[in-house]
Amino acid sequence: MSAYITLATPMIDTECLIAALVDLGFRKADIEHHAQPVAIVGYGMQSANIVLRRAQVGTLISDVGFLRTQTGYRALISDDDQRRFGGNWLERVQAAYDARLREKEARMAEEERRRVEEQRRQVIEAQRQSIHERARKLGYRVDEKREAGKLRMVLVKRSY
Amino acid sequence: MSARATPELINVARFVARSAVNGPEERFVIWVQGCGLRCPGCWNPDTFTFAPRQLLGADELFALIRSTPGISGVTFTGGEPFAQAAALLPLARLIREAEMSLVVFTGYELAELRSRAARALLGEIDLLISGRYVESERDLSLQLRGSANQQLHFLTQRYGPQDLAPPAVEFHIDATGQIAVTGFPTDEMIPA
Repeated sequence: MSAYITLATPMIDTECLIAALVDLGFRKADIEHHAQPVAIVGYGMQSANIVLRRAQVGTLISDVGFLRTQTGYRALISDDDQRRFGGNWLERVQAAYDARLREKEARMAEEERRRVEEQRRQVIEAQRQSIHERARKLGYRVDEKREAGKLRMVLVKRSY
Repeated sequence: MSARATPELINVARFVARSAVNGPEERFVIWVQGCGLRCPGCWNPDTFTFAPRQLLGADELFALIRSTPGISGVTFTGGEPFAQAAALLPLARLIREAEMSLVVFTGYELAELRSRAARALLGEIDLLISGRYVESERDLSLQLRGSANQQLHFLTQRYGPQDLAPPAVEFHIDATGQIAVTGFPTDEMIPA
């Protein structure tokens, strides 16, 4: 069978991500938010903007972090801690985030809506660039098509 | 093998209106829901269960296909299309009557497709890609196949080996930024 793999919708809204973590049972006071990434414990030399400290949460082996990138927040969580939360923890974060974002969009003023749209456009462009970059490294040519609000990128192996 | 979905409805996992990497030329691609083979390492384990996902009639799906301009055919993949051979047969006939081509991916070997419904569906197919996905034989350099044991069967004159493009992968990015990947991607092509 040919693949069809759906990757998570990028989490780009800080307020919704923090609200999602609260929805999953974390105390807001235990969620750190930093404009610049700070070091997190137990996950190599990684740093993150949103951090759940193991000392505060109590049941964790390592800190849990979310690093802000051009393509949205990237979760940093050890396999052991994922298992402690239940194997599908990141899916639950995503679902809670999506619900919070829908709520936020429903009450947004026009100006705010435009700001979010622009943010989304920038993320899509960053994703596009990252796919181009990966394709170039792996020796693929990229053909792009825009159809019905979607971007389609076909990667074909270079034969020369 | 028997059809496990409601006979007149097709249990669909998802569809993509246009893809260039699921058979020759631009195609409408339908991933059916349900597969009893459950090959280890399959790309799409979410399509294993036979629990209804989207139950759609052949007419309904055909209307969607007809509303997509510029495609030359349809691909059934999954999931296991031959687990729903009886339900897919009317759609296959509509596709062929409209002079579009039909490509089908199956995990069965051609010799295993012996039921009446399976044989009737085979009669509508231009290109069949058959065989289990065998992880130890994984080879993504092959056209339209994930493992070396899988076979291409050109069942009509419509296509031949010369019509197959080199192995390719397709990324679809929607307005929310969600990415879907289709085709035969290597692990390093899939963003973390």
